[in-house]
Amino acid sequence: MISIFRATDSFLQAVKQELDRPHPFAAERVGFISVHAMTTHNALVLLAEAYHPVADDDYVDEPTVGAMMGHEAIRKALNVALFQPVGMFHVHLHDHRGAPRFSRTDLHEQLKFVPDFFKVRPNMPHGAIVMSHNLATGRIWLTPETVVSISEFNTIGSRTSHDRIERL
Amino acid sequence: MTELNDFSRQSFLGKDSSKILAETRVAIVGLGGGGSHIAQQLAHLGVGHYRLIDPQEIEASNLNRIVGATSEDVAEKNSKVKIAERLIHSIRPWAKIDVAQNEWQHAGDLLKDAHVIFGCVDGYRQRMYLENAARRFCLPYIDIGMDVVKISTETYAVAGQMIMTLPDGPCMKCLGFLSQDRLDKEENAYGDAGITPQVVWTNGTLASLAVGAFVRLFTPWFKSSRDFEWLELEGNNQLVTQSRQPEYNIKGLCCHYSPEDRGDPFFDVRQITPVG
Repeated sequence: MISIFRATDSFLQAVKQELDRPHPFAAERVGFISVHAMTTHNALVLLAEAYHPVADDDYVDEPTVGAMMGHEAIRKALNVALFQPVGMFHVHLHDHRGAPRFSRTDLHEQLKFVPDFFKVRPNMPHGAIVMSHNLATGRIWLTPETVVSISEFNTIGSRTSHDRIERL
Repeated sequence: MTELNDFSRQSFLGKDSSKILAETRVAIVGLGGGGSHIAQQLAHLGVGHYRLIDPQEIEASNLNRIVGATSEDVAEKNSKVKIAERLIHSIRPWAKIDVAQNEWQHAGDLLKDAHVIFGCVDGYRQRMYLENAARRFCLPYIDIGMDVVKISTETYAVAGQMIMTLPDGPCMKCLGFLSQDRLDKEENAYGDAGITPQVVWTNGTLASLAVGAFVRLFTPWFKSSRDFEWLELEGNNQLVTQSRQPEYNIKGLCCHYSPEDRGDPFFDVRQITPVG
């Protein structure tokens, strides 16, 4: 079974533009993409719906990491999943081209907050994505304990692409 | 590269274009006069994955236009999807093909993980439903259709169109192609439409326009600056022009479809087995 993350090109460009804005003290910006989903007999397809940026005031001033979200940022993201039938995917941008990779800190921090989304929206997958300027990598939580990699990113626009991700 | 996979004559399509096309999954709904041409051209291009959907078996009256069909197919009442599958495999034996001899509404699985949907269906309402599915699945939709209209006692006008729409661009209603007036007229004429006229060369022209739109979408060759295409074919004089109707009809962002409507509203991750 393959897992596909699909979004329009204009949506992804807008997300990258937002993530690329400088923050008063954080080294990078983060946010959440809400998704809808569907399945076939051999594929799980995630469909990006909207972007939810983390507000400037909801970052914690922690110079040892690129960006740290405060409790309020997580609470607002949980609120979206509570009141809308969507999965939530944490997203950040690496400032380069080519395949991005999650850092050890990313992988560690994701385990702290992604499973919490199942408390408010247990019927949807949740996860995390890291984008570069032309590619992306992602992880999907199917349950609070079951994590798989996104195997293909579809970008739909006047230049449509379908990039396969071989590994994290 | 084997001799059979030599795409050097189309290398201008861009770096990695052969790999991109080989990994692309196309869904073709309707394998009649238009869809069979599209399937053949995509096979020549080197597209690697096909989802072919059509409920019908071939009839003698189809032989005037279905590419790849033979008189033996008519005698054996072969399905249109099987004829298209055989045609594609005769050009690219390595192509992976899923077929559904069914209405496309019963073959949704073949559309959801495709990368593009080609609509080669009859009627405005079917086009509306199929574009609706493309929007729900967040996919590009490429539609072709032709018509022959009697304009005097012995004079017929042949016309057709190729329309490509994207999930966040104007839809066929925004463009003015799917108007309520057309939908109403079709509904009222239901059962009285007679035989739909179709001819091979017009089908072929429209299919070529559709495949051209597809290649522009998926390869680095030439990027369209617009988020839709609507080419009109005036068949009697064989003229293809950009439709000017969108200039008068587009009133802003699409108000007919929303990203909130994407996906399966009844989806439940607890119903699926872990993906590998």
